[in-house]
Amino acid sequence: MGYPYSHEKEVPILSEHFGDPEARTLEGWQKRGGYEALKKALGMSPDAVTEEVKASGLRGRGGAGFPCGLKWSFMPKDSGKPHYLLCNADESEPGTFKDRELLRWTPHQVIEGCAIAAYAIGAEQIYIYCRGEFFEATQVLATAVEEAYEAGILGEDAMGSGTRIDVTVHVGAGAYICGEETGLMNSLEGRRGLPRVKPPFPAAVGAFGMPTTINNVETLAAVGHILKNGAEWYRQWGTEKSPGTKLFCVSGHVKKPGNYELPLHFPLSELIYDVCGGIRDDNELKAVIPGGSSVPLLSAEEAMSCHLCYEGVVEAGSMLGCASVIVMDHTTDIVRQVRRMAYFYMHESCGQCTPCREGSAWVVKILKRIEEGRGTEEDLDTLMEVTDQMVGTTICVLSDSVAAPVQSSIQKFRNEYLALIRRGERVGVA
Amino acid sequence: MAENGQNTETVTLTIDGRTVTVPKGTTILQAAEELGTTVPHYCYHAGLSSPAMCRLCLVEVEGAPKLMPSCVTQVMDGQVVHTESESAERMRRGVLEFYLVNHPLDCPICDQSGECKLQDYVHQEGREHGRSREPKRIFGRDDFGGDVLFYGDRCVMCTRCVRFMTEVEQKPLLTVVERGNRSVIDTFFEQGLEEAEWAGNVVDICPVGALVSKDFLHKARAWDLDHAPSVCPSCSQGCNIDLHTRDNLVQRLKPRANLEVNQYWMCDYGRGHYEWMNRGDRLEAPVVRESDRSVAMGWSEALEALKTRLQAASGGVKAVVSPYWSNEDIGAVVDLMDALGGGEMVFRSPRAEDESVLPGFPNLARRRDLAPNTTGLAALGASRVGDDGARGGLEDIDAHSGVLIVLGDALVDVTEGFAESAELTVYLGAFESAALADADFALPITTFAEQEGTFTNHEGRVQRFWPGLQAPGAARPAWLVLGALAGAISDHEAPIRADEAFQTLRGRSSLFEGLSYESLGTRGARAGEPATVSGD
Amino acid sequence: MSEIPFKNPGWAGNTGEYDLTEAQIRGHDYVGDRPLEGGHAAGAASYPYMLPEKDPEAPLFQGPYQERFEKILTRYPNKRAALLPALNLAEEIRGHVSPETMDRVAELLELSPAYVRGVTSFYTMYNKRPVGRYLVQVCTNISCNLCGAEEVMEAFLRNTDTELGETSSDGNFTVVEAECLAGCGFPTCVQINSEYYENVSTKDVPQILEHLRNLAPGGGSAAASGSEVTPSAATEAEE
Repeated sequence: MGYPYSHEKEVPILSEHFGDPEARTLEGWQKRGGYEALKKALGMSPDAVTEEVKASGLRGRGGAGFPCGLKWSFMPKDSGKPHYLLCNADESEPGTFKDRELLRWTPHQVIEGCAIAAYAIGAEQIYIYCRGEFFEATQVLATAVEEAYEAGILGEDAMGSGTRIDVTVHVGAGAYICGEETGLMNSLEGRRGLPRVKPPFPAAVGAFGMPTTINNVETLAAVGHILKNGAEWYRQWGTEKSPGTKLFCVSGHVKKPGNYELPLHFPLSELIYDVCGGIRDDNELKAVIPGGSSVPLLSAEEAMSCHLCYEGVVEAGSMLGCASVIVMDHTTDIVRQVRRMAYFYMHESCGQCTPCREGSAWVVKILKRIEEGRGTEEDLDTLMEVTDQMVGTTICVLSDSVAAPVQSSIQKFRNEYLALIRRGERVGVA
Repeated sequence: MAENGQNTETVTLTIDGRTVTVPKGTTILQAAEELGTTVPHYCYHAGLSSPAMCRLCLVEVEGAPKLMPSCVTQVMDGQVVHTESESAERMRRGVLEFYLVNHPLDCPICDQSGECKLQDYVHQEGREHGRSREPKRIFGRDDFGGDVLFYGDRCVMCTRCVRFMTEVEQKPLLTVVERGNRSVIDTFFEQGLEEAEWAGNVVDICPVGALVSKDFLHKARAWDLDHAPSVCPSCSQGCNIDLHTRDNLVQRLKPRANLEVNQYWMCDYGRGHYEWMNRGDRLEAPVVRESDRSVAMGWSEALEALKTRLQAASGGVKAVVSPYWSNEDIGAVVDLMDALGGGEMVFRSPRAEDESVLPGFPNLARRRDLAPNTTGLAALGASRVGDDGARGGLEDIDAHSGVLIVLGDALVDVTEGFAESAELTVYLGAFESAALADADFALPITTFAEQEGTFTNHEGRVQRFWPGLQAPGAARPAWLVLGALAGAISDHEAPIRADEAFQTLRGRSSLFEGLSYESLGTRGARAGEPATVSGD
Repeated sequence: MSEIPFKNPGWAGNTGEYDLTEAQIRGHDYVGDRPLEGGHAAGAASYPYMLPEKDPEAPLFQGPYQERFEKILTRYPNKRAALLPALNLAEEIRGHVSPETMDRVAELLELSPAYVRGVTSFYTMYNKRPVGRYLVQVCTNISCNLCGAEEVMEAFLRNTDTELGETSSDGNFTVVEAECLAGCGFPTCVQINSEYYENVSTKDVPQILEHLRNLAPGGGSAAASGSEVTPSAATEAEE
């Protein structure tokens, strides 16, 4: 159920037990059907598990939306090397707060998904890379892992299957870029969290130089349900290209912010006005960021016709990302918020690639100047061109993430910039 | 796979409309080099791993959705690459502009000016005017210890220096501190590079003026320096170097790439030992002792007098030679002794307690032998005497009653009255020698820095060097002087060019067998091994 | 676990849909007091706490902490990979990561001190200098910012009488700006030591600070599980 609010239109699969402290415990989890999926998976061949997930069409929930089963199938067979499964719980995309809920309410759901994935890809060691700030959620997860070890679900002989499945809870130390899969691998290895050049891809050379698969917490949490109920069952929701349900993290100017689990292809307007109870103070909608701060803003008009699935949001002019819907009402000072987002990326840039390292700081300086009323119209052209040089020219996509809010806001809210530049007028400031 | 030595497969691709065939596994950047096209780059260095982070070497590869980093993208059959397409050039212009957002425009006071890759690339294809109007980031200056000074504001964050210390010297004393645009190269707080023995290389590989040499600081502008290919004289490794000179003084030594000897590197010890080449206390004219006075005279007169004295002398010949002089010079001593009926040759050479190996390229070390040509000397029949400080061991020489020839060794440890019983003493030296102040003949010769010649390194590799300085006064190469003398005595034609002098070595040692001066090229060769292609 | 005596409406219990205690929301009822030596090795790297009481001089590592460190080492194929967990543990004990701490951790893991400095400086959670008993990290990123996070941060600074990043004169508080804490649905999200405070508005700030002051020595019970024991006390007890 949505947390802290729920709604009747939700399809609570992953979130069914949010807010239910008993579901955290091993006993409580098993009472709710927990670890049946793992048991079933261990009785299948690893390839069959992968095939089932492939058939479900489950796409990665970390932002890129890459088909999960396909990713697993890239892992080499009989490589003779240790394989690793990494669970990416370094949730830090602004606007996203689903993984923390999954970890703290349903740790066994995450562990079960991890164990199934590890079995499918032939990994004996799983690292769950948790965001450093998640002290409380990580404690819950670690306690659950201990319980699973004690019950023989994890360990040398997982559930009596003869397969070794080990889980290690690893904790980061504060760096957004470690949510990028190869940055995470470097960080796990005790290095600066610098994203790696691909190729080689993780399935060939990943953590510790070994074949590695990395999945988001939410992706792995869904795996158990798919295994238990079948791919067809999962496909009853969503679209051909975006099957299943998804946790939508709604924040900003709505009456009831929070996580809601909805079928993909859910209308954005309905999410805002029905599920979330509308805009605060019944204000007018100005803009929506549909997938976390790394994706382009949608104007109110674009948002109204947008359907929340991977292809639907692209059609509307943005990306679904990790389905973090940030709602802004008419009092929002777009320039200030874009500056804040750009500042975030400047702060979190790892500093390897020149366009990102230099460009993000430059963009922030220009935006700051505009915000302070010292901008020129030429600055807007410079911003567009500078951010253009940051797209597609770097190792990872953090650089592109700077361009998304800057470019889309200048395109869609140019008047706000001009009002500031020409007349010093700021929205939301009396 | 490739590591198993089956790397004979080749790949053919097209770069800027020209076709090239290279071994499988080659990168686009390397393949372009084959065609003489340099793709601009900072972080890539042939001697280091490639992080592909400067983003300057991105090129257009047909069919690829984005520009590709040519330093790590491997070639594929039929690939069509454009390094100068509109998109690649536009991207490079963009990246160069990004660098200049914070890079200070202090070229007039920057040592790197003139050999700066940022300067070069921006002049080549950067924007005419940068668009940034924002105040620049200030890091300031930091003394990294040793000879290395860091100007943080000039740094382009290529991390070559960090990778050199980590991968090649394997003493990770440098790191990137902080992240994003606050990233800066630093050491561990107050700990510097003092314990490093190869840190000077980080100055060489820094593409801009961020890491500079304190020794060279504000000494000369890059464009005022002349470069002479040479061989480092400070140990028997024989690192290939360039002498950088101005005003007839060596200003600094820089390593010259030779993949078989020193790759791209040289040690700090060798790099720092060049001041002696600039010494002013030189012998400048032949001086002949006549009863109780010394008389300076011209070469022909002096050699004529010496020839007469040598032919009249009896009691055999002994020679003390120096391992800082070339194979040709020592060969000429042997020629002269042969002309006089034979003799004995000894040398003294400083030795360190141990080697200092470069872990990332263990073929390279600062060797125990701290002179460049001990191998050559030994091959030509000289025996080592004295201690590891190149002192002592001259008792037999002191007692010698015949002809004594001293080449190069100034005998600084020798007390007055040395070789009093010698019938005739001949000193061929570059520097004044107190011990040999009363020599019957004191003849000014050139150092390796002032002449052509070859050294033989510790593994028998014979390598050529070229003159970077003009010889003072009447100083001449020893091989020329001694060759003329030997020729006159035995009525042979004397060598008048360095290659002719080299030819005389053949037959004297197997180390020179089959080698020709020409085939040595700029990178040297070993007898019995195919010569490497020079000039690449 | 004590109930916080002020209203914190972002918690599920306050929306009227869930009936939960603070301990249930934070998971303390489930986690309980985890042993200082780290419990099962699988979770040994999982808990650095940020404790009010720190001992910058505490040895690295001794007693239960040494045990935990050794358990951590068993979970990775090499020592380097234990670097972040080791630094986390060091910060848990000492409160910040000083050059001496980096040097010691480098020694333990056979890494160069400069390398450890490079890694440490990459991550924002490593305090480079000492902080107050309570490190108050206010998220001012987009979702919280839309809902008044900057005013909340101002309120923390005003009520602790500090500048950003500085420590209050009583040594209790250091207030810093944080990037998104993944609590966007509960703006403004504030992390204070190991705990999240959600839906914080400017008017909640004095109450929160008062609550924390009461937890100071003589002021009440400790804030986080495990925090009853100071690092040095734990070490001494073990010896």
